[in-house]
Amino acid sequence: MSPDTSNGAHETYDDDIVRLFFGATVLWAVVGMLVGVIIALQLAFWPANMDVPYLTFGRLRPLHTNAVIFAFAGNAVFTGIYYSMQRLMKVRTHDLLSRIHFWGWQGIIVSAALTLPFGFTQSREYAELIWPIDIAIAVVWVVFAINFFYTIAYRKVQHLYVAIWFYMSFVLTVAVLHIVNALALPATLTRSFPLYSGMTDALVQWWYGHNAVAFFLTTPFLGLMYYFLPKAAERPVFSYRLSIIHFWALVFLYIWAGPHHLLYSGLPDWVQTVGSIFSIMLIAPSWGGMLNGLLTLRGAWDRLRTDPIIKFLVVGVSFYGMSTFEGPMMSVRSVNALSHFTNWVVGHVHSGALGWNGMISFGMLYWLAPRLWGKVHNESWVSLHFWMATIGIVLYVVSMWAGGLTEGLMWRAINADGLLAYPNFVDIVQRLAPFYWTRFFGGTLFLLGALLMAFNFILTIRDARAAGASAPVAAK
Amino acid sequence: MIAASLNPVFRAASEAHDLGWLGSVSTLLFVVAFLAWSWVAYNPRNRARWEAAGRLPLEDDSSPGGDA
Repeated sequence: MSPDTSNGAHETYDDDIVRLFFGATVLWAVVGMLVGVIIALQLAFWPANMDVPYLTFGRLRPLHTNAVIFAFAGNAVFTGIYYSMQRLMKVRTHDLLSRIHFWGWQGIIVSAALTLPFGFTQSREYAELIWPIDIAIAVVWVVFAINFFYTIAYRKVQHLYVAIWFYMSFVLTVAVLHIVNALALPATLTRSFPLYSGMTDALVQWWYGHNAVAFFLTTPFLGLMYYFLPKAAERPVFSYRLSIIHFWALVFLYIWAGPHHLLYSGLPDWVQTVGSIFSIMLIAPSWGGMLNGLLTLRGAWDRLRTDPIIKFLVVGVSFYGMSTFEGPMMSVRSVNALSHFTNWVVGHVHSGALGWNGMISFGMLYWLAPRLWGKVHNESWVSLHFWMATIGIVLYVVSMWAGGLTEGLMWRAINADGLLAYPNFVDIVQRLAPFYWTRFFGGTLFLLGALLMAFNFILTIRDARAAGASAPVAAK
Repeated sequence: MIAASLNPVFRAASEAHDLGWLGSVSTLLFVVAFLAWSWVAYNPRNRARWEAAGRLPLEDDSSPGGDA
């Protein structure tokens, strides 16, 4: 179908694809977070692996990270992109390509769930999936990219709004990162050997790994922020001029930050230093973007008391600010010497994933639901979800900070003779139990909030179906 | 010294082909690009253009139930 069949005023948008990605987002949020809660319990109480090899931490942990990053966050981004880009371009996306993208992406997620628990892995963090699935990802991504740039090419609005630039960096950079990092020589259907070796392999992996954070979990979500925050606040972004400086400065600096994952390694010192310096410079565009988001609410701050969608979005942007200050600090060598390999890193990641990606996604979904199906079934549950999620994140992040500092300090403590004060590693692990239990309760609260949201949306869709043809689902 | 920590083969290569100038030139180019782009962004003559661009998301009707 050609997207330029009618003039802008009567263009119809494909909102069914938005509904499909919306449903997938909610489903994978619950699944991914449930697996996270299970492995959190296993760290506090190891018999929770039930002595089944497929359910052990090493098998489930990559399933959790892949599910929340590529299934939950990925589908959330696609939901927002398909909704917003059609409206910003005033043109319909290609129906068939959109469906190939949707079903292909869900197929990849299911194949991840069918391989990782059985131990089929490339052992590359956030790129564990075996080579046939890697090829499928590349193919589906190219389909998405064609659909995306085809829509831009046929657009009826000359200016590309800043959100589109952020989406564009996502589409292009993720393709490059995925393909370069996944280059491998297949040996059998399930095994392969990476093209790189030694330190080069590590550098390619963390160039990929950190930019997965940058271009999968940051830039597309900033695009969502620049579209859905002005929508929810009913006023334009604080400074559009700042947003275009924000975009170019952020994408230019982010791509070089990967080596901060390899401090004190065999990587040449100067490369480590480059990684640290670019990470620290990133505070400027990151906080510029955060302030641009928060100041968009100028004159509308009273709505923070009453509008749960604004609450989700504001807390999301605030967590973005916190984790983009914490990250650069952790990339300073002396801080990294304490934080690396500890639970502090886990706390940092979840302040970004639950606080930033999670809250922005929830805010966006609650904003979209009435526009896709009609009134949300229970408005007060939205507020309840907000508080469950916020308290859950605080319990999670604070316990992991405290636990991380505890183990980091204990690992390097030495006694008067210059020997390790805690030579028995298990002593330190046991000291972490209360932090692991607190994290488990925080994560469970966050999961229960997501379940409440899923239940609310199921009832919302049921209400819309009951209302029948009068439901506002038809495209204009 | 960076060079002292390198593998002898790489050290010989880096001494034969000193690429330090490349770092200086690219830093300079990117600083100029940043300043030029900032000038475009904050030039008062472009003010109306950017303000119009900032209103793009609000141009379609997206009241609940009334959205296209």
